[in-house]
Amino acid sequence: MNYLIQFIVAMTATVAVAILFATPKKELLFCGLSGAISWIVYYVVDEKSGNTVAACLAATFILTVFSRALAVLRKNPATIYLLSGIFTLVPGAGVYYTVYYLISGDRAQFASKGLETFEIALAIVFGIIFGFAIPEALFHRHTHGKQAKRAADSQKL
Amino acid sequence: MAHTKEILTLAVEIADTMLRSGAEIYRVEDSVIHILEAYGLEDFDVYVLSNGIFASANENREDACSMVRHVPMAATQLNRVVALNQLVRDICDHKCTLPEANLRLQKCRDLSPYSRGITIFACGVVCAAFSLMFGGSMLDGLFSFGIGLLEQLFLLACKKYKVSRFLTTVYTSVIISLLCIFSVITRLPIHYDKLVVGAIMPIVPGIVFTTSIRDFYNEDYLSGSIHLIDALLTALCIAVGVSLPILLFRYLGGFWF
Repeated sequence: MNYLIQFIVAMTATVAVAILFATPKKELLFCGLSGAISWIVYYVVDEKSGNTVAACLAATFILTVFSRALAVLRKNPATIYLLSGIFTLVPGAGVYYTVYYLISGDRAQFASKGLETFEIALAIVFGIIFGFAIPEALFHRHTHGKQAKRAADSQKL
Repeated sequence: MAHTKEILTLAVEIADTMLRSGAEIYRVEDSVIHILEAYGLEDFDVYVLSNGIFASANENREDACSMVRHVPMAATQLNRVVALNQLVRDICDHKCTLPEANLRLQKCRDLSPYSRGITIFACGVVCAAFSLMFGGSMLDGLFSFGIGLLEQLFLLACKKYKVSRFLTTVYTSVIISLLCIFSVITRLPIHYDKLVVGAIMPIVPGIVFTTSIRDFYNEDYLSGSIHLIDALLTALCIAVGVSLPILLFRYLGGFWF
């Protein structure tokens, strides 16, 4: 039940973010899905393993792969799903807590939060890189010959 | 056979609009190359930066021409990126003649973001949802929603009066922080940190950061660095903006932060 609530809230958040960046109406639902799925992955992995950085890495990876799959299915740039979905993972909270501990004079907490924020940012970097490292052809299994080539060409765009 | 200059102008104009609307460097560069090839140009060169475009075609021939564009960073508008992507695809499939393409480019440029009311509401929803996701209570979500509405109003005003991007971020985070402090002063059971974390979400540099990673991945190191510095500075501005009111209230004394 808790997961369902998290899913719905994350989806609402992502759709709203997508609206702020003027995503076309037809794609809003898919943006919401990509955000919600990555958040659920993050939430579950974080809860089960207690490792926030690993959770972020897994979530970003899934998000990137999912965005690319959607891009092929919906014939749109992967960017639009990726950009809206990433907002659930970006360490905005980490930045705030780091600064909060800095101005509170709590050096130990500041260092630990700051380092964690940095690690999360790195995890996002590698999540995206691993996600894009999967060869384009794998996303085009269902198309054949010339059509597949054309699809791959326009996908590059 | 169309003139080299017209083709190059079309390609660069499309690239210009794409870059402005928030497409990543690789896509922009690739689009230009595809368009030029589709219209039968062979000898050309393109270089795209995070805020500039350089292109030349047929340099050693009579109809040589080259173009340089300065593209200031603007608000991300994904509907333009989608529409332009479709346009470039149609051009590559030779479904679109030059005059048609120009008309469609104009249409893409006229695409506007969602209306003011909707974006204000959406910003409220973003703040509320993120407050809840980071473990806030329903009451936190409600206050966040209100703060989000005011935040977007302020952002729109900054856009109207053309305040610089970094100042906008600092001012907005100061206002967020102040509003959060005022909500805590009501003595309702509100968590200050959950409010702030939710409310800064709409101005967090998520997009620039992602674009920067993708630039590095595609070996556009210069654009990647520019975007990365942009993201870091924005984060710094948020940090400064949020902490100023807290420090002020502490200085005034007797506050429980």
